[in-house]
Amino acid sequence: MVCNEFLTDIILAELEDAVGRENCSTREIDKITHGVDYFWLSRMWADRGKRMPEADFIVSPKNAEETSKVLKIANYYKIPVTTWGGGAGTQGGAIPVAGGILLDTKRMNQIFEVNTEALYIECGCGAIYKHIEWAANEVGYATMHYPSSLTCSTVGGFLAHRGIGVVSTKYGKIDDMVLQMEVVLPNGDIIETSPAPKHAAGPDLNQIFIGSEGTLGIITKAQIRIFAQPEERRFRGFLFQDMSGAFKAARDLLQKFKPSVMRLYDEAETASLIKKIVGVEKKGAFMNVAYEGVKEMVEVEEKILLETFAKYGAEDLGSEYGEKWWKEKITFFYPGHMMDIPQMFGTMDTIAPYGTIEKIYWAMKEAIETNFPFVKFIAHFSHWYEWGAMVYDRFIVDQEYVPEDPHEALRLHQRIWSTGVRTALANGGVVNDHHGVGLKLGRLMKEQYGPAMQVFEGIKKQLDPNGIMNPFKLGL
Amino acid sequence: MYMSEKSKQIVDACRFCWMCRHICPVGNATGQERNTSRARALALSLINREGAELTADVMDNIYECQMCEGCTKECVTGWDPTYFTKEVRLQAALEGKTPDYINAIVDKVLETGNIYGATELDADLSAAIAAHKDGKVLLFLGAEARYNVPTAAVNAIKVLEKAGVEFAVLADEPASGAALDWLIGAADETKTQMSACAAKLAAYETVIAFDPQDAKAFVREYKEYGIELPAVVTFTSFVAGLIKDGKLAVANTGKAVVFQDPYQLARQLEETEEGRAIVSACATLNEMLLIKKDTMWAGGSIMAIYNPLTSELVAKERWMNAINVGADTIVTASVSEYAALKAAAPAGKTVLSIEELVLSAAK
Repeated sequence: MVCNEFLTDIILAELEDAVGRENCSTREIDKITHGVDYFWLSRMWADRGKRMPEADFIVSPKNAEETSKVLKIANYYKIPVTTWGGGAGTQGGAIPVAGGILLDTKRMNQIFEVNTEALYIECGCGAIYKHIEWAANEVGYATMHYPSSLTCSTVGGFLAHRGIGVVSTKYGKIDDMVLQMEVVLPNGDIIETSPAPKHAAGPDLNQIFIGSEGTLGIITKAQIRIFAQPEERRFRGFLFQDMSGAFKAARDLLQKFKPSVMRLYDEAETASLIKKIVGVEKKGAFMNVAYEGVKEMVEVEEKILLETFAKYGAEDLGSEYGEKWWKEKITFFYPGHMMDIPQMFGTMDTIAPYGTIEKIYWAMKEAIETNFPFVKFIAHFSHWYEWGAMVYDRFIVDQEYVPEDPHEALRLHQRIWSTGVRTALANGGVVNDHHGVGLKLGRLMKEQYGPAMQVFEGIKKQLDPNGIMNPFKLGL
Repeated sequence: MYMSEKSKQIVDACRFCWMCRHICPVGNATGQERNTSRARALALSLINREGAELTADVMDNIYECQMCEGCTKECVTGWDPTYFTKEVRLQAALEGKTPDYINAIVDKVLETGNIYGATELDADLSAAIAAHKDGKVLLFLGAEARYNVPTAAVNAIKVLEKAGVEFAVLADEPASGAALDWLIGAADETKTQMSACAAKLAAYETVIAFDPQDAKAFVREYKEYGIELPAVVTFTSFVAGLIKDGKLAVANTGKAVVFQDPYQLARQLEETEEGRAIVSACATLNEMLLIKKDTMWAGGSIMAIYNPLTSELVAKERWMNAINVGADTIVTASVSEYAALKAAAPAGKTVLSIEELVLSAAK
């Protein structure tokens, strides 16, 4: 469409009518603010003094009804709509690359109900997750969703990108933590998913919209599970001579009970981040395990843990390192504590069954280090299931190897990503484990799914025939 | 715009970091992405790199920060986003880029010593002040109490009278400079006003600062700018001492209340227990979310003049914290928060100033 000055004013007036004048902006500060998320490329672009693609209108609806009005306007004028929660995503999913409307969800932050019988919090999707954690804590419960972005990301953001927290091995991923959702479809219809998450009433509507990254609709409300606070939470650090032993030990352990935290660091990360933050000086692969719940059961779990890990030659480092890690678990992500611009870096997390995941790690390490000899590759394995685990592998390029020209830097970044993720796919992995796809990895979705991609494309075509919802994301 | 190397360093640290988002009272209340340290830093970093201009709405955003330092307290690395915010306010003033609505307030403070441009005191307050011309201890009421909530000033005087304290109150109390410091930072005008105030206060042995904003300025900025003062105590610590020493007799009313820590006391002066000691002596103290050093600003102050909607939203947000723990009454030791919480009080809910509570419990 041609959006001239006159028509822009007409649309602005309609959007103001939908959400209120004070919640609709075309101001420079709001455009700048919503142009840069946690995606390395957007940060690099800004670091080089360049402006990212910006939205034409920034709107902040209060609820599903106002969201519906915005989407109806957008559909009529065929304007792109990009949804923004906390903007702390790493995949560029929230960047309004096609301009148009940026719909910020954070005014939808109400906590409607803290239900201590069915154990959930019903809240607006714009609620900061830390705030619903506070609400749960106030009545003696906890959300048990503790990602590093707990304080800066929204409920909707985690749902839209299939997020995960550090105690996931026991309590699950965000897609395990949601009971019901309210979603506004691209045509403005407001729907609710099933009243219960487990049923035989057809496919699971929740799981269609979870991970859809704003391409199929906008999640406006959710019921999020809460859990009893554990009577006891204990930590134990171990050092394995190599990762193979650690994998066998972890797989064996998970047949017996589910720890809350299991984090295995490769030797490179043990020697860098773990040494710096937690203080482990020894060589090897560090693994931190937390187990929690009723005190008597924790006692039993500790006994099983020590016996199981001893079988695989793990050195018991006691509880000190684990407790330090727990205390510092978010510190890792503050400025000055991890890689940052001017370095180039990325997390190419993927997931696969046992027997495959370790192979993926070595293949990705080799592919990255061979093709890009100046790149450091570190990894940890932090979300474990009875059937497999996730690898959180990161590449780091020091400043001296990062091209000064931003366009060249962008190309190098994309090449490293393509190499890493294609290697994961070739060895049985997936495009991503818990950061989502966004703009960064959309091109690789068809490579993973092949003809299965037409299922997503069919849903997209049906729900969003004008293609206005978060264009160029998720490969849709 | 000039920016010091220290500010540039903080700006570059904060521009891609959201870790303090959850604690910002303004961001939580408005739901606007620009109300984050990250947003301010990002815009300034782009300006430093000539990728953006210092437009009017970037300056507006600089003035959407209350400088409560919740973000600073939250930063594990130790960055202080209010440092560059305050510096930009100063620099904007020097370069003529201060928003008109801020300049209008600055002019009033320069002309009258208060942000309201008021020149006449409330009659009851004038009478109360007139009874305390002499003494080695000075009760410094502050402009907010004198011109916006005079009943608070009168009650503060009554509390000290109840305890038999000999004290003076200045009819022509000078401006502390705290307002100017908040508005335009360490400008010459701010330091001149502070120096003039210090000269007048030099006649006393002890200054009791009634308003936490003044107390913070006396203790922190005066020292930073090399301006000497007599001993300064906060009103809350002074009154807590009176109760503890038995000089001010109170009986617990049994009223269930929560206490709103003024951020200036709790975070900037590290005073968290004195207010609680007073409240616990006079009422049943319950605690709400975000207390002591984690306290959340509850609205009011200068922002209430030029951005009343935000101040109102912030106050409503704080009321929710109180309501969530079943509280009907908030007690506060901040004059401006008292005004904001009172204006936003839901039906059936009450806000009490700490001096009102003490007087209601005084024997």
